[in-house]
Amino acid sequence: MKRKSKPIIRVLQYVILVIATLYALYPVWFAILASGRLGDRLYTLDLGGMFFPTEWTFENYRVMLFEKPFLTWLTNSLKVASITTVASLIVCTSAAFALSRFKFRGREFFLVFLLAISTFPGLLSLVAIAQLLTALGLYGKHAGLILAYTAGTIVFCTWNLKGYFDTIPIELEESAMLDGCSPVSAFFLIALPLAKPALAVTAILGFMSGWGDFVFASVLVPAPDSVKLAVPALYSLANSMSVPWGYFASGAVIVIIPTIIVYLAMNRYFEGGLTLGGVKG
Amino acid sequence: MSGWLGRRKWITILLFLAPTILAILVFNVYPILLNTYISFTNRNKFRPNPDCDVVLTGLLDPICWPAFRDNAPTGLGKPYVLQDPILGNYDTLMGKLFTPEALLSLVLIGVTFAPLIGANYLSKKQERKIDKKIPTNLVWGLGILIAVALFFILNVPKSISSLMATGDFITVVFRTALFVLIRVPFTFILGLILALILNSENLPGKTFFRVALFVPWGASSVAILMALVWQFLFRQQGTINQIFAVIGGTGPIWLNDPILAFGVVVIADIWFSYPFFMVSILGALQSIPKELYEAAEVDGAGFWTKLMKITLPLIRPAVLPAAVLTSITAFQMFGTAFAITGGGPTRGAGVPGATEFVMVYAYKQIFQQQNYGTATAFAVMIFIMLFLATLYSLRVTKMTKGAYE
Repeated sequence: MKRKSKPIIRVLQYVILVIATLYALYPVWFAILASGRLGDRLYTLDLGGMFFPTEWTFENYRVMLFEKPFLTWLTNSLKVASITTVASLIVCTSAAFALSRFKFRGREFFLVFLLAISTFPGLLSLVAIAQLLTALGLYGKHAGLILAYTAGTIVFCTWNLKGYFDTIPIELEESAMLDGCSPVSAFFLIALPLAKPALAVTAILGFMSGWGDFVFASVLVPAPDSVKLAVPALYSLANSMSVPWGYFASGAVIVIIPTIIVYLAMNRYFEGGLTLGGVKG
Repeated sequence: MSGWLGRRKWITILLFLAPTILAILVFNVYPILLNTYISFTNRNKFRPNPDCDVVLTGLLDPICWPAFRDNAPTGLGKPYVLQDPILGNYDTLMGKLFTPEALLSLVLIGVTFAPLIGANYLSKKQERKIDKKIPTNLVWGLGILIAVALFFILNVPKSISSLMATGDFITVVFRTALFVLIRVPFTFILGLILALILNSENLPGKTFFRVALFVPWGASSVAILMALVWQFLFRQQGTINQIFAVIGGTGPIWLNDPILAFGVVVIADIWFSYPFFMVSILGALQSIPKELYEAAEVDGAGFWTKLMKITLPLIRPAVLPAAVLTSITAFQMFGTAFAITGGGPTRGAGVPGATEFVMVYAYKQIFQQQNYGTATAFAVMIFIMLFLATLYSLRVTKMTKGAYE
């Protein structure tokens, strides 16, 4: 804040930053170290091994990728999360279009109703959803999970997109309509391409909510191995006594590292407060 | 939009909203209805099946719907029926709250908080005055002092423990509230400190620190796996205890001690959530005009004065919604506690464990004990609380302002 910081303040700032960075990075670093340790040795008994790769092997990765159904789990996760993203974008874009471009009675009510209804925690509605999917014959299938995920992203995604659409000047579309475009095609031809950044962020957040979810996936698609998703499968792997921790760690690293990279790449979008800005309207 | 009018407009709107409305009805509204209905029944693992001849059951339980009867599992066990009395599940959860002793405890705790509310009111009133101000610090200091005094005079710990004895609901909600009250301010302070440092000019290595400190946010989207890693760190043989061993002591068994386990969950959950605050505050800081600080420096303001008089008031509009949002999500925290402690350490059979927060409790009741009746009653009460909290937060933060016009 100050123009010229005194040396002592500079030092203090760096001390805080270094401690915070250790706090921020160590758990991830620990997971990486554990993924390279042989067999069931999650902990080495010398402290150095807790911080530096004193031993390293790709054995855990090899076992996870070629002997365990981990690739199947990853594929399942990718599939479910991708379809969820596409479905939720389609549903939300059309809803956000109607809510942003038309003034009609009950619009405010509908928007607040969405927010109010979403305060009912997803975990608590899971029993009803599981029952419903059972009745529909979709329990234990990816289709059921995708339906539940898509429904779960709707409120956030609609609010976010609607907020962004509101910032796109309507005059552009109106001039297209003078040229004979219908409101719908004017919107899709002119406003939608302008909303690409918001669509991208909404898509990635939607993807992540399916990619990282634990509760829904573990309840709605509990078994067998061939349909499990990566995160719940890894969790149960870690909790079963017979499996070495190194396997879990290597699997976790494969799931976590790309996730972190995607978030880092989106860093600048978050900084503008887009996630909140959308909700703020 | 001036495009269409009348019927055509309405048909378009309905067409575009239809998928959303359908999804919301099926996956949000219907679960709430079924949940509320089941909360009045004695459904549990011995009575899992619907009795389709009962009108409401037949209407609400999907297994009874004619189209779906073929897919319905034919389980063992008796059908569930309405509780007698009808509020039986609610009574189990918090019935003893309405005894004179418990109500007195509630009043005593309320009285303890009164000085703080008074101080808040008084300091707001003082702010509006132009002269003859009583300093805000003095008002708050006095308020806190009186509150602390009352805490001991009225023996609040005893009141709390007698409230905790009234049933699971108060125990779990109280503990979760405590968690939120500890976690959110710490997260805010950590985020604020880091954002202030990162916002300072010509700080070599700024980009590196910024990226490094942002990492937990990415990791938080696969929270349950990272929470397991945190659990490893605090195990008996984990990194933390190995450091203790090198220094020459023996570390505690973190996850077996109620207070330490609570602390571990707080530390891990702060790790997940501070980047959000850091980024929100950083964004807000960058929008503060530099001239304000220059003017303040000319007047001889120090770091603290600038922080309290310029920075904090100006980032308030951006940070307040973030704080409210974080509080609501912290109240619903599930993954961190579930993966690290599983709700434990236990304090005896049938009593919620030391880190059994709202969602962990609900999860265990539903999926481990299969006490659907009690669990859904719990869900209904939590829903009411969250609903009111959200409505209130919308008012406070004016989050929906600008969405209607």
